[in-house]
Amino acid sequence: MENPILELCEVTKRFGGVIAVNRCSLSLAPGRIYGLIGPNGSGKTTLFNCITGLEAREEGEIRFKGELIDGLKPHQVARRGIGRTFQVIRIFPELTALENLLVVTWFPFDLALRRARELLELVTLDRLQNEYAGNLSYGQQKLLEFARVLMIDPELVLLDEPAAGVNRTLLNELLQAIRNLRAQGKTIFIVEHDMKVIMDLSEKIFVLNYGEKIAEGLPETIQTDERVMEAYFGR
Amino acid sequence: MSIQITGSMLLQGVVSGILAGGLYAMVALGMALIFGVMRVINIAHGTLLMLGAYSTFWLFSLYGMNPFLSILISFPLLFLVGAILQRLFVYQVVNAPELSSLLLTFGISIFISNMAMVAWTADYRSVEFLTGSFLLGPIALSKPRLVVFGFALTITELAFLFLNLTKIGKAIRATSQQRDLAQVCGINVRRIDLITFGLASGLAGAGGSLLSVMFSVFPEMGQIYVFKSFLVIVLGGAGNYPGAFFGGLILGLAEGLASLFLSAQLSEVIAYILLVLILLVRPTGLFRGRV
Amino acid sequence: MKGLGWGTVLLILAGLAIMPFFVTNYIVTFAIQIFMWIALAQSWNLISGLTGYVSFGHVAFFGTGAYTAAILISKAGWHWFPASLMGSVTAPLLAFIIGYPCLRLKGPYFAIAMLGLNEVLRALVSYFEDFTGGGNGISLPPIAELQPVYYAMGGVALGVVLVTWRILTSRFGLRLISIREDELAAEAMGINTARLKLYAFLLSAAFPGIAGGFFAWYSSHIEPLGTFPFLTTITMIIMCLFGGKGTVLGPVLGASILSIFQELVWARFLFIHQAIFGALIVAVVLLMPKGILGVLQERYHLPRTI
Repeated sequence: MENPILELCEVTKRFGGVIAVNRCSLSLAPGRIYGLIGPNGSGKTTLFNCITGLEAREEGEIRFKGELIDGLKPHQVARRGIGRTFQVIRIFPELTALENLLVVTWFPFDLALRRARELLELVTLDRLQNEYAGNLSYGQQKLLEFARVLMIDPELVLLDEPAAGVNRTLLNELLQAIRNLRAQGKTIFIVEHDMKVIMDLSEKIFVLNYGEKIAEGLPETIQTDERVMEAYFGR
Repeated sequence: MSIQITGSMLLQGVVSGILAGGLYAMVALGMALIFGVMRVINIAHGTLLMLGAYSTFWLFSLYGMNPFLSILISFPLLFLVGAILQRLFVYQVVNAPELSSLLLTFGISIFISNMAMVAWTADYRSVEFLTGSFLLGPIALSKPRLVVFGFALTITELAFLFLNLTKIGKAIRATSQQRDLAQVCGINVRRIDLITFGLASGLAGAGGSLLSVMFSVFPEMGQIYVFKSFLVIVLGGAGNYPGAFFGGLILGLAEGLASLFLSAQLSEVIAYILLVLILLVRPTGLFRGRV
Repeated sequence: MKGLGWGTVLLILAGLAIMPFFVTNYIVTFAIQIFMWIALAQSWNLISGLTGYVSFGHVAFFGTGAYTAAILISKAGWHWFPASLMGSVTAPLLAFIIGYPCLRLKGPYFAIAMLGLNEVLRALVSYFEDFTGGGNGISLPPIAELQPVYYAMGGVALGVVLVTWRILTSRFGLRLISIREDELAAEAMGINTARLKLYAFLLSAAFPGIAGGFFAWYSSHIEPLGTFPFLTTITMIIMCLFGGKGTVLGPVLGASILSIFQELVWARFLFIHQAIFGALIVAVVLLMPKGILGVLQERYHLPRTI
């Protein structure tokens, strides 16, 4: 692959005696939507944590746009252009929706304000902009987190279970938003358990089991892959 | 200040330090358990220790009770006190933002230590039970320190046996590793919290009883042990209970050496600098553990 | 509505400015005390209220400022005003030495490190006797007039309140709050939490440093036990909590109310007094975590930047 936007090379992460990520290697081409699936505990979130610097990988290399980023602090990784959302929503409850967005950017205030308002409109939260984020509903908080990650204008967006706990209507909005991002040239990497969502969205899927990558390929291929079946359902 | 430090003085310092370290380890284990299970830093740990020391003092002065025997009373007594504190106050800040639990236990510690001052005055008390030392070659082994070390070791060992062999002990360890998972497995985490806090308080109380044999008893005596216990936990690695034991020994050793080469006052500074250095260089502790 | 608020503030300030000429020395002394507590509680608020990092040894900065000024005045012949201002250099320096390693880590570690700081400073002050007068302390010439100290201490209090207000209405303040709300998320969104925490910490040390200097001059004698007492830390914490941490006027409210209570009721019984503070801390944490101002803010929908 020429000029992958993200490249993982034999990345390994252990917690005490447990190997959470085992010699994982993958490449992401820019401007595509990728999926990451696997049974519970297969190391998907840990992999995300390693990429974003929240955890330090023990072995292997992580390259973003050709440059090594392992060892960088999380805020440095974010500034380079990698944004992420979390499995459990992590918005700032005592800040308003607007402030949640203003806080993460260093654009001059007026520019930031304008952009924040645009993004809130995009996720239909504009009339709630002065509401404390802690008072929003689950779905609204999910949208807010999504808007917040867009605020830092990342080239690579890691989404950790974006569909979790989201009702059908909201889900469709979210999916459309994700497709729009791709149209803008961003690369999306999604961890998801909802199979329909991930098969619909992804152009290519990676499968992890016990920290190891056991398969990668097109959604159709993955759906019929034996090893994937085994991982999810056992023999 | 140029005193020649002979080999035997060095050995003396080392041994002295290690003997103190055993006690640190025991007290720190309690604090480590509370932190592990409830994610609460128990600032009141020192005051619980102090209460144990005073109970031994009063039992000794009023009834002539053997201080080591009084542990049989101070341990359950402090277990009860701890359980009450947990049931009334601490349970509300378990897994809350750290600010809340820090401030809560801080407030409790202020209240208890000052009530102690009102009740018993700030006078220094002492338990004159064991004095003197054994002579082992060139070293003088202080009798109180030796016996205290023996008890500390025994009690710590009993605690570890409890944690590893009994059902409740295993439940405690499970909860401290993965609280949600423990709940899913049917463990009543509320009850575990209560028992853990009680157990930790008992250990602190026993530590206080042992301390009373070696040092003066006064209301503020426990304060420095909160800090030292935390240092021990950091040295050993948070969540790593056996590591805490070795952490205690290391702290004792460092202090022993420090008071040999520098003044005794500075040995506290040494403990402090040690903490800051470890946090800088290896926050997960010298042994394997989680932050 | 806004104009009314500002008008009241200016009126109060004007009143305070001319007050010394119309009241007894007792009241002026009492006012100096309240100003000092406002400065201390507000400074604690800057780090602990905004970022959620509990500083248990904040009196260390007060003591550092006191000793800086005392040494400069007695040994180098400085005038008391610039000598006290030097506290805003030495105290943040200490804050940097402690904060740089400790703020990189999470809250509990920082809190414990600060807990130990007090004891260490007291030990160091005794150790370096020749310089600091050891256990006997340093004596300074008695002050002739109260009024300069009144204005000086009032200035520090006003300064830190203004700085807090500026911070809370800026993105810097929002970022500090986001650290308190979810440090991990803040970090993941590109906020350099370590650096921001350090800035807040340095700021929070500067004002107690200056206040300490004025206090040294005012008391004419300082010694380790009196300048680094744990009670000071306890008091500034409860005043901030009681009034409302994380707000601008909360610490002002808490300092004023509790100072009056202290003066009228408790100061006679030192140990009960401390015990009551301890119980009050427990009560506030469990029942009124946002303090009085927090309760008022919720009741009457007041803005956060009060």
